[in-house]
Order: sequence, then C-alpha cells, then structure tokens
Amino acid sequence: MAAAGATGSPPADGAPYAVELRGITKRFPGVVANRDIQLRVRRGEVHAIVGENGAGKSTLMKTLYGMHRPDEGTILLDGRETTLRSPADAIAAGIGMVHQHFMLADNFTVLENIVLGSEPTKGGRLDRAEAARRIREISDHYSLALEPDVLVEDLGVGDRQRVEIAKVLYRGATTLILDEPTAVLVPQEVDELFSNLGELKREGLTVIFISHKLDEVRKVADSITVIRRGTTVGTADPRTTTARQLAELMVGSELPSPETRTSTVRETAVLQVTGLTVPSVVGRPAVDDVALTVREGEVVGIAGVEGNGQAELVEAIMGLRALTAGTITFAGQDITRWSTRARREAGLGFIPEDRHRQGMLLDAPLWENRILGHQTRPPAVKGFFIDRRSARADTERIMREYDVRAPGPDTLAVALSGGNQQKLIIGREMSAAPKLLIAAHPTRGVDVGAQSAIWELLKDARAEGMGILLISADLDELIGLSDTLHVMLRGRLVATLDPTSLTPEELGGHMTGAHDGSVGAA
Amino acid sequence: MNALRRIGASLFAPALAVVVAIVLTAIVILVIGQDPAVALRVLLDFGDTPAQQTQSIVVILNRAVPLFLAGLAVAVAFRMGLFNIGVEGQYRMATVIAAGVGAAVVLPAPLHVLLIVVVAMTVGALWAGIVAVLKVTRGVSEVISSIMLNFIALGTASFLLTGPLRGSEEGAAIITTTDIPESGRFPAINGLFGVLGLEQPRGQLFGFLLVAVVVGVVVSVLLKRTRFGFDLRATGLSPSAATASGIDARAMVIKTMLISGAVAGLIGLPDLLGRTYHFGTEFTAGLGFLGIAVALLGRNSPVGIAFAALLFAFLDRAAVPLQFADIPASVVTIIQGTIVLSVVVANEVARQITRRRAGRAGGQGGDGGPDAGTSAGPAGPAGTRITDDRQEAGA
Repeated sequence: MAAAGATGSPPADGAPYAVELRGITKRFPGVVANRDIQLRVRRGEVHAIVGENGAGKSTLMKTLYGMHRPDEGTILLDGRETTLRSPADAIAAGIGMVHQHFMLADNFTVLENIVLGSEPTKGGRLDRAEAARRIREISDHYSLALEPDVLVEDLGVGDRQRVEIAKVLYRGATTLILDEPTAVLVPQEVDELFSNLGELKREGLTVIFISHKLDEVRKVADSITVIRRGTTVGTADPRTTTARQLAELMVGSELPSPETRTSTVRETAVLQVTGLTVPSVVGRPAVDDVALTVREGEVVGIAGVEGNGQAELVEAIMGLRALTAGTITFAGQDITRWSTRARREAGLGFIPEDRHRQGMLLDAPLWENRILGHQTRPPAVKGFFIDRRSARADTERIMREYDVRAPGPDTLAVALSGGNQQKLIIGREMSAAPKLLIAAHPTRGVDVGAQSAIWELLKDARAEGMGILLISADLDELIGLSDTLHVMLRGRLVATLDPTSLTPEELGGHMTGAHDGSVGAA
Repeated sequence: MNALRRIGASLFAPALAVVVAIVLTAIVILVIGQDPAVALRVLLDFGDTPAQQTQSIVVILNRAVPLFLAGLAVAVAFRMGLFNIGVEGQYRMATVIAAGVGAAVVLPAPLHVLLIVVVAMTVGALWAGIVAVLKVTRGVSEVISSIMLNFIALGTASFLLTGPLRGSEEGAAIITTTDIPESGRFPAINGLFGVLGLEQPRGQLFGFLLVAVVVGVVVSVLLKRTRFGFDLRATGLSPSAATASGIDARAMVIKTMLISGAVAGLIGLPDLLGRTYHFGTEFTAGLGFLGIAVALLGRNSPVGIAFAALLFAFLDRAAVPLQFADIPASVVTIIQGTIVLSVVVANEVARQITRRRAGRAGGQGGDGGPDAGTSAGPAGPAGTRITDDRQEAGA
C-alpha cells in the first residue's frame, strides 16, 4: 500500500504547515459532503488532492476558500487557527482560487481583468501605468508571459488560465488553489502550466492542485491526499506510488454493490445509435462517432470522467441537441429528426443529470411536476385540457409507491429534499412505462437510503424488459447495474467492458485514460 | 385553511404596495403644501346624486376595460417569461387599421363588429409576431425589438391616419379616420343599471365590458387548465426544464406572442366601438404601458389584473375632481407609479416568504434552500457552470 501514514508528524524542518485542516465536516440537507477531512500542506510544495467526481473535493476547496463554513473542524494557516467567513477573508489570508471555469470578462483587457475589484487608483481614476508595471513584474517573476493590453477574447485557453493565476498573485496570494486546472487544456498547455507551477514553487508559493488525472498528478505533485466518499483516506508519495495504486485508493476496494447478476437481456434492440456526432463550440466534437445499442431488459452503462461528452450524448438522444452526423433508431423507427416531445411520446423516459435545471419546475406544485414531460398523455391530460383531479390522484399514487415524502401533491417541489425530488422524477418517468429510460446520474446528490431504493427501481424496470441507458460517475453503480459497460473519453467510446469481471480500479484506469488504447474484455 | 393562506399570501404584496404608495403620495401632497385628507376625500367622493354616483362607476368601468385587456396582453407573455413592452404599438396599429376597415365596409351589425374585432386582433397579433420572429430566428431580445416597434407603430399609425385612412376635412385641427357606421358600433349596456335598480348615468357603459370578461375567462382557462397553458407556464418557470420535457421553445415564443398581440389588438376597441367611432390624434394613448403596471400589480393572474385595472381606473377618475380641489392631477400618476415600484419589491418579498414557508413545510429543508457557496464567487460570464456542491456531494 502506497498510503504513507503522515498522521500527526510535523514537517521535518519544524515550520508549521501552510495549510492544515483538522476534522473538517460539512453537511448539506440530506447528505454529508465532507466528513472528518484531514489535510496537511507544506509551504512551497505542490500538493495534489485527488478523488472521484463527487468525492467532495470541490466542497472541501470551497471550505478552504471561505465560500461556506464547515460544521465541524478547524482550519490552520501557517499554524494559526483561522475562521474564513468569505472569499474576501481567504484572499486576505493569502489564499487564491483559480476556478475550473474561468471567470474573466471577454471584452476587457488582461490588465483590466487582473485589477478588477482591487484597482490601483490615482486621483480616483484607474492608474493604468502602475497596474501595468505590477502585472509585468508578476508576469516576469513567474514567467507567465502576459501582455497587459491584449483583450481576453483574443487569448487561448492556456493564456486565460495564466491570467487567472496572475489575478490571484496580484492580490498577494501565497497559497493557490487550482481546481481541475488541466481539464480544459491540451497536452502542450498542460506542460506549460506545470512549468509555471514549478516557477511558483521556486518562489516559495504553495499550490493545491485538484485533479482526478492520476498521471498528471504524479508528474507535478510533491505529495498527494486522496479523498473518497467525502473523507480523506490517505496520503501518498508520488515518487513511490503507481497510478494503479492511486486509483485503488480513490475508488476503494470493498464497497456495497448494487448488483444485478441474472441477465434479463432480450434479443430486440430498443435503441440503436450509429455514427452519432455532436459539435462543440470549439475544437473537436463533443460526441465523436458514437455507436451503441440498448436491448430490451438491458442496462447499458456509460462510464467516463465528467465532461467527456456524456451530457451531450444524452441530450442528442433526447433531441435537445443538434447532430452533425449519425442516426438514432428507437423501437424500429428512425427518430433522428424527431422532436423531443415525439420521442417522449414514443416511449423515451428521461432522468436528467441536473434535476433542478431539466427535471423539475421548482416553484410549481408536485402535481404539475407530475405532468411535466407528459403533457400529451393520460392520466394527467384529457385532450386539450389538463385533468387536475387525475394529476393530483396520480401524484398521490407516485408519492405512495415511490416513497416520496411530502405533505401532499400541492406542495411546491422546492420544498422537497433532493432524494424525494429524484424519487418523484423516477416515479413520473416510470409511470409512462417507457421502452427506454435514460438515467443520467440517477442517484447523484441523494442520501444512501434513497440511493438503494432507486437502484431497486431500476433493477425491477430492467427485469420487466425496459432498456436503460445509465450514465453515472459512481463506479460501483455502473459496475453493479450494467449489463454492458462503455467507457467514454474525449467524446468517443474507447472501450467496451464486461462488468461481471471488472473491478472499479480497472474501470477507473480506463476512464482516466491510464489504459489508453487497451481493449477491455468484451 | 391552506387555500386561505395562499390567497392571503398573494394579496399581501399588492396590498402592501398600495399602502406604501398612499403613504408616499400623502408625503408628496404635504410637501407641495396641500392637505392629503382632501385628496383622499376627492378620491372617495363619487358625487352627490345617485345619477352622479352611477356616472362615476361608468367612468371607472369604461377606463378599467381597456386597462384590463392591456394587463392581460402583457400577462400572457409575462407568464412565459417574455416581456412584451410593445403592447402600446400593437394596439395603436390594430386600432387605426380596424377603424379604417370598419369605416370602409357596410355589413349587418353583428358581422360588422365581428369583422372589426377580427381585424384588430389579427393586426395586433401580426405586429407582435414580428417580435417573436426576430427573437426566434435572430435571437433579438423581445424587450428591445418591441420597444423599437412601438416607435415604428406610432409613426406608421400617424402616416395611415394622415394619409390613406384620413377621414377629416383638409385643415381640420383634429385629424381622424372616417366614423364607423352604426352597424359597426358596440351597443352600450346601460340596461344593466335598470336591472340592478340603480339610477341611469349620463354616459354610456361600454358593451365591450362583456367581451373583456369573456376574454378574461378564456385567457384564465387557457393558462390554468389547458395543455398549452401548462407548456406556457412551464417555459416561464424554467425554460431548460420545459425544453427537456419536450416543449418546443421557439414555437412557444411565436404562439405566445401571437396571443399576446391578439389580446393587445382589443385594447383600443372599447373606445373605438363604444365612444369615438374613429381613430384620431386624440385617441387614448399610453394604455400599453399602463398595462405593464396593471399586470405587475395583478401578479399576472386574470382575476388580479381585473382588480388592478379597477384600482387604476378608480384612481384615474379622480384626476379631474382633484384639480377642482386645487390638487394637481399628477397625484394620480404619482400613486400609480409608486404602486408599481413598490409592487415589484413586495412581489419579491412575498415570493421569498412563500418559498421559505414551503421549505419549512417540506420538513427536510431540501435542495431549494439557500445556495451554499455558489453565490459567493464572482459571477462568471454567461454559460459559466458553477458546480452545485450538494449535487456532487452524495454521488
């Protein structure tokens, strides 16, 4: 085991840790996002925090950046206990955050973006000369190669990231948090970023680097902390740890499994996708020449690190996104050009990844949410009119059968916990007896009880012959429920695996590209 | 109990707004050296004789009818999140063309009226349709395009009035279209006062009141009880969820704007068919903008809009009597303006209260609670995805 137990040992040189977190716990309604987090970061090192999507890395970083306060635990900066009430506090304490999604104004220059919010002034006006001088100084000092007067919209992704870094350096940060900084970069830019991080380190700055790309982490980090299911499970030395060992730490070995082993797969294909290509705003297509088949009674899982085209694939199948190429055949009919409503009427059920954005009307009562997506079908609708009574009655039935805990069908959806909202959505989609259910992260953000209930529902539906396309970031869920498992990477299906003989570690390897090129047992 | 509380909550905001507006106006009246109590007395004084009192009611109702229609037109679009600021232009265009067509033909009475109504609704719908087409095909904000189209409508209406549709003599001080013949006029419903055992007023009560009631009921049923209304409201509540549910957002924009415009086309008709019988330079203006205020005050529900229209008409009636009491008529405008401002604030307050109460009713707090963290960071450019930590948390 590569996990070196660093617990309790002070740094060799006796100086206090730049950042130390002790026993941080953060709860949200229905879920514990972080539990008993222990983190020790030495001054002047690049410290990587790795973990699966949803393991709680972002929550932890928000705690450290003062965006919310932990329910339990203490934060020590340079050995002193500190309370961070807001990002402003964090900045004052020398912590800077480089967000994964850049927060830059395109139509401002590099200089304007960097000074925005802490402008040097002379006589009440922006002192451009002074600002330019300081930016040049920072740029030269850390080899960021920034031109203060260029418009941000003319910059590439790597340059924009350096602007973000300069922004926090300009505010005097001595500890930089980089949230998935390589997610948006091409390999050459990644190398440049790493040499920039080297500069920062040489100047004595501390870098906290959040990632799930294990090879990159091993290349750049001086030490690694692994987070799994909301808690820190160990630290590792990148020089002595393999990517495989890290992956094992990340996903854990013994976890409760949502297993379904007797195959119910039938002959008839419900959904067939061929050559599906979806454009993205820039560069390579978001979904690139994907082909897959879902049969009756089959669960086809799509594994992949978030942002590799799964969301776009789902939206393309639902008719929410335009294709550049490919055909979608559903129950024997070519539905490539059908509207979303026609697809739903034909028997396509949809559990969206973001239920607040795509699955519910939060300010509407539950019975109206029962109708959503089923406006053209009974029982809630009679011809041109809404049948309020049946809608209410059917909502009550769903609440009963799917254990949705709420006062009644007239309750606003916003009042329900995440798990109950999700159960309502699942109940609603199941009620229409779809031939195919697209379930995107069906147990995301729900508590453990609701999670196993949802797994049961999916298993029952599968047994009854429903085809299910399951997109998830939970590897146990994918391996446990799927009959066939595809791995999606950079918009392509790169591997087809047999879940019966697959470990989470192997799957994690495929997802992060560690097994690139290798073909799994299919 | 539950229903009572809900009604209470929905009345709270407008009532608060009216109270705030009255207090502010009283302060203004004091500042200009007049007595607010006098102003209040004038507002409430409908006249000494029964005939005067019914006349005041006629004035209020006649003013309320177009305001109600204007409020409805705005509200239909509001309900799906579209800001139809162009109601003003839509009804001006509709009225001038309907007046022209009505004067040009002779038909049996019901058909003649029907033709004018249909023409007005069609023109209003088409004018609003331009906004919808621009939005759907070119992504032009409906706020901008409908405001701009107001100017074009005003200019076009003037051109039609002074050019092809001109009816008045060369050199006349007031330019109008030719009068609509008897068969195209909408009869008054003063008989109503007889039935209710009230004194006959001097003026005539617009028969178009009945049409307005029917339109109100139709719009109400359409919004609340039909599939179309559900799609419309769902789009207004959450465009992304609506699209995912299979609603074609572009088609909804077009359909909704057409309906909004068609209702807007009716706004000028009570006056046109019930009093002036022609469109002219003196024709009632500003109803479209007042409609926005009325819709806001009425919280976009037909019943609320009816009350809001009555309230505005009630205030408007006092404009002339106030001047007799040496108080400027603009007091009325001040009250109306402050009502609108305070109702916007009060609506938001009321919305948050209902949300919080709903959150408590649900017991578990839930996902709609105050967003931890997401609001703290600097706002990103459009399209920036801010990760919701509660969703990441349990996955």
